[in-house]
Amino acid sequence: MNKTSIISIGFIAVMSVFPFFADSAWLAVGITFLVFSVVAFSQDIILGRAGAFHMGHAAFFGLGAYTTAILNTHYGWPILATWAPAVIIPVVVALITTAPIIHLRGDYLLVTTIGINIIFLQILENDLFGITGGPNGIFGIDVVKLFGYEFFDQIDMYYMALILLGITLFIMKTLDGSKFGRAMFYINKDDVAAQSMGINIRYYKLYAFAIGAGLAGAAGSMFAVQYSAVSPEAFDVLQSIMFFTIVLVGGSASLPGVLLGTFVMFVLPEIFREFETARYLIFGLAMILTMILRPRGIWPVKFGNIPAFLKKGKK
Amino acid sequence: MDIFLQQIVNGLTIGSLYALVALGYTMVYGVMKLINFAHGDLVALSAFAGLTVYTNIFADGGTSIIAVITVFMFTAAIIAVVGVLLERLAYRPLRTAPRLSAVVSALGAGLVIQNAIMLIWGPNMKIFPSDLFPSTIYEINGVVITFTQLMILIFSSVLMIALYLFINKTKMGTAIRAVAIDQDAAKLMGINVNKIIMIIFIIGSALGAVAGLFIGIYYRGITFDMGWMYGLNAFVAAIIGGIGNIPGAMFGGLMLGLFNALISGYISSAWAETFTFMLLIVVLIFRPTGILGEKVAEKV
Repeated sequence: MNKTSIISIGFIAVMSVFPFFADSAWLAVGITFLVFSVVAFSQDIILGRAGAFHMGHAAFFGLGAYTTAILNTHYGWPILATWAPAVIIPVVVALITTAPIIHLRGDYLLVTTIGINIIFLQILENDLFGITGGPNGIFGIDVVKLFGYEFFDQIDMYYMALILLGITLFIMKTLDGSKFGRAMFYINKDDVAAQSMGINIRYYKLYAFAIGAGLAGAAGSMFAVQYSAVSPEAFDVLQSIMFFTIVLVGGSASLPGVLLGTFVMFVLPEIFREFETARYLIFGLAMILTMILRPRGIWPVKFGNIPAFLKKGKK
Repeated sequence: MDIFLQQIVNGLTIGSLYALVALGYTMVYGVMKLINFAHGDLVALSAFAGLTVYTNIFADGGTSIIAVITVFMFTAAIIAVVGVLLERLAYRPLRTAPRLSAVVSALGAGLVIQNAIMLIWGPNMKIFPSDLFPSTIYEINGVVITFTQLMILIFSSVLMIALYLFINKTKMGTAIRAVAIDQDAAKLMGINVNKIIMIIFIIGSALGAVAGLFIGIYYRGITFDMGWMYGLNAFVAAIIGGIGNIPGAMFGGLMLGLFNALISGYISSAWAETFTFMLLIVVLIFRPTGILGEKVAEKV
């Protein structure tokens, strides 16, 4: 039993019993923490692992949320049935929108992905297809129903989100040792060398965008059900910047780092709500300070020069 | 045809403002390879600082040419100092850190400036006085151009030409270009890189400050969070022109201004940003380093 497993078991244990000690306000914070950490992990696949500077992730998160909202309120689909499209549609959209720009280097990709987010937002606000509800968004989204039981309680929501986070963590763990994860690792370390080893950079970066968008879409669907409403400002560029920052402040490609980043960037501001107006000023200062003191994030991943999966005697 | 010419005039006006802001982005990017996300917020800060300078010093009304020049000089100086402080405190400690760390620091700095504006001047829209420039209107064949627009066009052209000459014809300008090409080699040639970076932040911020004041005078209403959208448009303009390239930023700014005005005039201003980014994507598909950008491989 190594240190990592102890920490992960401790984390899961704490998160599982959290609802019994929290009042409803904190339970809501807890649910959002779980949902946001799923989004942060999906951002980490693209940014931290594939090394693609992506600052438009709120678009895929929002696409999942809106898919569930639209299918449920306009077409009367039960929430459970909207889960699959809420994952598939962001994947398809991510592939279509990023395929033409995936070759762009660093900062160029960053600005065009901001562009994807802004275009998504304007489609929502201008109500392009007449189904997004414009600037007000969509209200009255149903709860999850299964065999006549309604998961309308906050605690039900919480455990659903926890299961989603569990699935995400499992995916992240599996990625590390998979062919895809290894390819990502090399592309991020040195893309020229990776390419000369025969790794198709374009294919793997698109793959990363697809997985990232799918996970974000699943989280978005849950987000829509939690608030039973969606509106454009929840998915604006500021939100994308937040996901981007979570990964880098926490420590990119580091599982505890991303969780810690979500906690620092999302839960701490909730705790300091009394400061109200000065909150984001302090927040900005903290971002600068963190980067100066810990340029690789609060809990950076410990890669030796030899990744764990290449070491002898380890599976 | 009149609408078309009118939109050209409006587009060139907005485009000159974009170009002034874009120069700040492109100069910092050229030397530090950093998107200075706080630059747009400096532009907003300039509009607010200029408003305070104007109302406090010239409250008794008398608008003279001296008053306007004082407001511009004083505000530009304030913003230049803020720009230098920004570089010292938020960017210099991260010069050797991974690139994305500096990006997060820049985003944090933008957040700090934006919220400082909100705390000092309040969250509501402030209105610029209308008497800074005379409200004279010139009409040529049905195309209307205001005195303010004329001033923006003239003043920004003068600044851009001056900057172009400064970068290309002076010793200091040569040093700036050298630092942009290779910092280490420049250091070995006896160039003080820190001083050059400071000068870049002074020039970039001062140009942004001029743009901010013009935005206030031209549009009148200013909000604490307006810097983000102007900054983003200007940055897109810098990329379209070819980032790191000074004529590119001017060209990109004017082009984006014209494009925006024509989209707003003929399609809808509600879709302006969508078209802006579609233009960006199309340009980058065909010219991955911008229209005037050189074809260089990224340094490994």
